[in-house]
Amino acid sequence: MTTHEHAAAAPSGAAGPVTVVIVDDHTIFRSGLKADLDERVAVVGEAGTVEDAVAVIDSARPQVVLLDVHLPGGLGGGGREVLTRSAALLGQVRFLALSVSDAAEDVVSVIRAGARGYVTKTASGPEITDAVLRVAGGDAVFSPRLAGFVLDAFGTAAVADVADDELDRLSARELDVMRLIARGYTYREAAKELFISVKTVETHVSAVLRKLQLTNRHELSRWAADRKIW
Amino acid sequence: MNTVPARPPLVRGEDRLIAGVCSGLARHLGLRVDAVRWVMAAASILGGAGLVFYAWLWIMVPTAAEAAKRAARRPASAIAPAVSAVPDPGPPARQRAVPRYAREILLGLVLLLGAFVLGGSLVGVDVPVDTVVPIAAILGGVALAWMQLDEARRERLVRGAGTERWTGWLRLGAGLALVVAGVTLAVSGSQWNLLGTALLASFAVLAGVALVLLPWGLTFWREYGAERAARVREEERAEIAAHLHDSVLQTLALIQRRAGSEADVTRLARAQERELREWLYRDSRASGGSFEDRLTALAAEVEGAVGAPIDVVLVGEARDGENGGRERRDAYEALLQASREAMLNAARHGGGGPVSVYAESRGGTVEVFVRDRGPGFDLDDVPADRLGVRESIIGRMRRHGGEAAIASGPGGTEVRLRLPGTEET
Repeated sequence: MTTHEHAAAAPSGAAGPVTVVIVDDHTIFRSGLKADLDERVAVVGEAGTVEDAVAVIDSARPQVVLLDVHLPGGLGGGGREVLTRSAALLGQVRFLALSVSDAAEDVVSVIRAGARGYVTKTASGPEITDAVLRVAGGDAVFSPRLAGFVLDAFGTAAVADVADDELDRLSARELDVMRLIARGYTYREAAKELFISVKTVETHVSAVLRKLQLTNRHELSRWAADRKIW
Repeated sequence: MNTVPARPPLVRGEDRLIAGVCSGLARHLGLRVDAVRWVMAAASILGGAGLVFYAWLWIMVPTAAEAAKRAARRPASAIAPAVSAVPDPGPPARQRAVPRYAREILLGLVLLLGAFVLGGSLVGVDVPVDTVVPIAAILGGVALAWMQLDEARRERLVRGAGTERWTGWLRLGAGLALVVAGVTLAVSGSQWNLLGTALLASFAVLAGVALVLLPWGLTFWREYGAERAARVREEERAEIAAHLHDSVLQTLALIQRRAGSEADVTRLARAQERELREWLYRDSRASGGSFEDRLTALAAEVEGAVGAPIDVVLVGEARDGENGGRERRDAYEALLQASREAMLNAARHGGGGPVSVYAESRGGTVEVFVRDRGPGFDLDDVPADRLGVRESIIGRMRRHGGEAAIASGPGGTEVRLRLPGTEET
């Protein structure tokens, strides 16, 4: 699960560590994660339930929220509910979903609710730190598995670079990038493989994230229905 | 039944005198229960309109418990709320359409029959009211009773009557007709002029019996349902407990015993995680013999044997893995074995780091990528007598019409396997 090189791009223009709120209902996991994150991030708050999370995020206004997908409290919506209830803050606070589960419904639902990326809880401290920095810098974080979901959902047939703003399909380049990420390449390695800059890779990934969040694509619904997601 | 928003839904209430219609109506309209009850009673005395209205609401309006159950029966949706943020007319509104129509059709039939009888007598046609009314009442009663049953029970009743075939339906229909005719005859006898009184009397008796027995029957029914649900839950719990005991507890015990060896603990935890995950999130992909399942199983096997974690990402489904021709099956087998060899190499020489496996099936073509982050190697440096890479990966793929390529560098090694689709796919 080494998607992200350790020397990830620091958030542009931000001095000092990135402020983070950890939302997870397991105290042991929270303290473990806190110990694992390095000095490039500063944990400014913690929460264990949906209500606490919404309150803490609103008062602490961190740059990034590490959000567990499964949370008690609220209406039972877990991490997705935190996202929808904090929707007004989505402009300033970025959410990175954390999950033990790589079940498609968990991942896709938080992404569609506005999370900027997803990492599994088995990722190492440095990996999660890198993912936090990347999200804080405005980029999306795709694990190999999330890239696999995207490819499965949007289909893998290459399409010509039609209108770039079309939401229902991935451009050939975006498919290339998704494929490499699914194969375990870091953004940097993908850039090298495709002879493009890391920044371009990040742009492609962000574009795919946007499409994943906004599309009503028929195939996506069918794919989800096949897996009984919605 | 579109309720005005911000009003509580129209459901029959719990604090009931008869069926909870008045209390539910009062809550829905924001009026006092007493007032509604008095108005209803007054309307019943004055011409019976209240009675009809009450009966209609009784039929059409679900109880609070029923409404809650219906709402709960909708598929639990993880994404729907997120999606509905996007202006998207979702399907949920459609879900309850069918049972609702059944009631409306029944009501319509009753009204039609009434109109027919009234219209006929107005025009002067001699409608046999004395016969039609009891028959209609009995049929209506049967239909009402039918509608009180839930789907599963209805299905079982229908099956019990042997009604899958049309003869079964015929038998059921004839039986019902006989019963209706018999009851009508028994009630009316030969003296048609006494019919009214007899009908009234038997109706009173039946209504009395129903009023006495109904609450008891309903309670019994509900308790039975609750008990059944509890038993199902209990069985589920027992299954989960058995599984956790067999797998997770054993693994935890092993981990405690081997706490000293980090590699062992990691491997045990990974293996247990994989197994538990498989058990919890059984994918809807066909399980067992599909290409994807076998690749995943091979990855688990290699991971268990060598210890390096292997992450498998699958995209698409290889369709003709099982029912293709023999040649095709062999080719898939070769691809699986080559993948296994590649995973073994990656796990052994990849520096213990995670191995990424990616398999994609598209239009019959299957590709497998196995990537590690080890120091890398040069294919030309591999001695010719080492069979591993050259024979079991490259040679094997070539013999079955596929290709294999190996890209190795300081950042790691990637083995790329490709099995092109056959013409007919």
